[in-house]
Amino acid sequence: MDVFFQILASGLTLGAVYAISTVGLALVFGAMNMLNMSHGALMALGGYMAWFTMTGLGLPPVAGMLVAVLVCAGVGVLIYLLIAGPMLRSEGFETRVFIATIGFGAMLESVILMAFGPQPKPQPLAVQGGLSVAQVHLPVQNLLILALAMVLMAALALLLQKSRIGRAIRATAQNRDAARLMGVRVGMVYALVLAISGGLAAVSGITVSSLSSLLPNMGGDPMLKAFIICVVAGLGRVPGSVVAALFIGLFEAVVQYTVGVRFSFASLLLLVIVVLIWKPQGVFGRHQGVRL
Amino acid sequence: MTAMRRDLLLCGLFACAALFWPMISDMRYSVTQTTFFFIWATVVVQWNLVFGIGGIFSLAQVAIFAIGAYVTAMLGYYLGTSMLLAMPAGAVAAVAASLVLGIACLRLYGPYVALLTICVSQVLYVLIVNDTDCFTNPPSGCMPLMGGVRGFSRFGDLGFRDWLGAGFYIGNYYVGLLLLTAAILFSIAIIHSPMGLAFRALRDNPVYAAARGVDRFRYQLWIFGLSAFFTGLSGAFYAVNTGVVGPVVFSFQHLLFLLSMIVIGGIGTVWGPVIGAAVLMLADEAMRELGDFRDIGMGLLLVACVVLMPRGLTGLFQDMARRFAKPADTEGAT
Amino acid sequence: MSDDLVISDLAAGYGHQSVLHDLTLRAQAGRLTAIIGPNGHGKTTLLRAISGLIAVRTGEIRLGADRISGLPAEAVVARGIVHVPQGDLLFPDMTVLENLRMGAFLPAAARQEKTVLEEVYTLLPKLRDRENQIARTLSGGERRMVGIGRGLMASGRVLMLDEPSLGLAPIVIEQIYEVIAGLRRAGRSILLVEENAMRAAAIADQVHLLDHGTLNWSGTGAELSGRPELLETYLGV
Repeated sequence: MDVFFQILASGLTLGAVYAISTVGLALVFGAMNMLNMSHGALMALGGYMAWFTMTGLGLPPVAGMLVAVLVCAGVGVLIYLLIAGPMLRSEGFETRVFIATIGFGAMLESVILMAFGPQPKPQPLAVQGGLSVAQVHLPVQNLLILALAMVLMAALALLLQKSRIGRAIRATAQNRDAARLMGVRVGMVYALVLAISGGLAAVSGITVSSLSSLLPNMGGDPMLKAFIICVVAGLGRVPGSVVAALFIGLFEAVVQYTVGVRFSFASLLLLVIVVLIWKPQGVFGRHQGVRL
Repeated sequence: MTAMRRDLLLCGLFACAALFWPMISDMRYSVTQTTFFFIWATVVVQWNLVFGIGGIFSLAQVAIFAIGAYVTAMLGYYLGTSMLLAMPAGAVAAVAASLVLGIACLRLYGPYVALLTICVSQVLYVLIVNDTDCFTNPPSGCMPLMGGVRGFSRFGDLGFRDWLGAGFYIGNYYVGLLLLTAAILFSIAIIHSPMGLAFRALRDNPVYAAARGVDRFRYQLWIFGLSAFFTGLSGAFYAVNTGVVGPVVFSFQHLLFLLSMIVIGGIGTVWGPVIGAAVLMLADEAMRELGDFRDIGMGLLLVACVVLMPRGLTGLFQDMARRFAKPADTEGAT
Repeated sequence: MSDDLVISDLAAGYGHQSVLHDLTLRAQAGRLTAIIGPNGHGKTTLLRAISGLIAVRTGEIRLGADRISGLPAEAVVARGIVHVPQGDLLFPDMTVLENLRMGAFLPAAARQEKTVLEEVYTLLPKLRDRENQIARTLSGGERRMVGIGRGLMASGRVLMLDEPSLGLAPIVIEQIYEVIAGLRRAGRSILLVEENAMRAAAIADQVHLLDHGTLNWSGTGAELSGRPELLETYLGV
């Protein structure tokens, strides 16, 4: 029974971490059919920015979070201006932007490596200590991550459903030309979506590194797992990807406990292949790729 | 002159010119680097068939290459198989792996294929690197089944060392040249074959092509499996040529390097990937002095090329040629 | 009139292909102007060029004193030209109400959203009943009504309707045209593109016949009815 709760707790934490990185990817794909392969590098950038602000400059945790989010949002806008924007209307956009963001991510990772070195660093934006409830040990950090994920998801849902700008994002995702005819400036929407996604990547990078440590290439595996989750949910389905993230987190916790950490990624992949054979559009996907 | 004849002629000229390179260049370094060029060019020429002709956005080519290399090395290491047998075995293993992967992935929507294949690559890498269980225990230390982080070495070679002594690398050079020439000939044959035409039809008008009975999945599986043969063989030759096979062949940097070649050279053409491989090898050479800035430079090159030059260098050449040819055409018409 | 839509020497098209050339015409304010002509002769292209969805090559488009040509689509709406596109282009995963509210996205229209929404519901009462239905589940006629309603929500100066009868059952076409007639009586400026020439002639103040991307004939609806040879040659009636 204790084991069950332990697995449940660590699975939900993993799921929460994945959810934060996954919704960013899903949002960008949903709005503009773009797979952002530099998301992992953005996560690392966010983690290092928090480290730099707190350990390097000696500022409080709030500043660390804020600087990380703002820097990564800024880089998101930069990705729009330099990469996605210029090729938006061209043929083969999906493939080209995929390749270009691979290059951009590699570049960003090398910059981080040069600036901060290859040695792992501890993430200062983390809380020590734990709670023991009925022999189940819960680190406070994990609870914080869970709470943070829920707040972020709620905020994003509210933004998309209730705000003017959220309606503009959804309209652009569902029909770009129609959105323009309504007066929506789609360029601004795209830049904004990439900025939001960048900010979410920063938070996700901070949470990932708080559970392990900071490394320049730390974003690679979480990004691929986030993509797996997106695919399971159906690319671009934002609410569906949150559900899928929690499910995958639990699944991974079970696999890690029963089979071993080594096989967690491989079993995830196996799972996604099975899902895709069963439902080629993802669990929450529709045949026509309409979303958000 | 038909396009196919022109391509064959160019291929012949290229092979003849390359025959003399080791005699002209007395530097061992430039010869061995050219051998690597042959290997990478073979991989991207085949990748181009999959991506540029077949329209399969696969990122598993590096993994297929690695499977060829690993199977060859493992056969040599564990069973002492002659490399002459182990290399084709590696290529066949690569084909088998690609068919399994193809059946799992190819019915999916474009970006899903890219994501799944890149994940497969990464999973193989993680599985090999994290394997610490000893399979055998030679004097050099614990050896996991797949070689672990260390990888395999001393699994045999093609016998050039005994035959040519210090000049063994020249033997490897000619094997590499043979490999690339065969790969290019195969690519020319595919591009100008009925299968190439079927793919062009699928790209230009999928509905019509489907109505005429062109089965996309079947053709894609064919091209995926066939191209895996040369990809695996180049992996096998890589193993023999370097004498070491480690998880680094799966690495993301490696994937990026090869992807850049195909993109910068020009996707979907016979010669684009070859040109791209040459350009990237030279750029890599030029940036060797830059240390850490090299990786940044490589990323920048890729991004700039995708954004500014979507059809790669060959596209650029074609546009330039058309611009020069245009005045001549109108003169001919009057 | 200060609010006339004036098109002079317009050329536009897709890629290397020019669809419209040397097109000059005027749509008077407060009138219903119909553009008719065979399929594929540039009627839809004209509306797309006016609304900024495709670029204008040469020539000029003006609405009153404003130069419209060269502006991106989102800026054209802000000048008061509302395009109800062919095939509706609804937001399929939004409700009817959300679709209508998107029509009033720009701040100027958003300020009077409530009043205009009431007007739209009065004109198209069916939409009130369907308010919370997801757009993708609507019937063809209902979609068309949402499209028109969404266009009205923008409170623009000119309403451009592209083939409002396309693909609908005769009885639904009847309903849609009643709505258009109501808008005309209310003094709205309307630019109507219609394949069905007789239908358009019956309702229009002014008819322009487009042939191979240029203006072939102009006149009133009544005049068009008196020119059977035009109808026969160009429209196969």
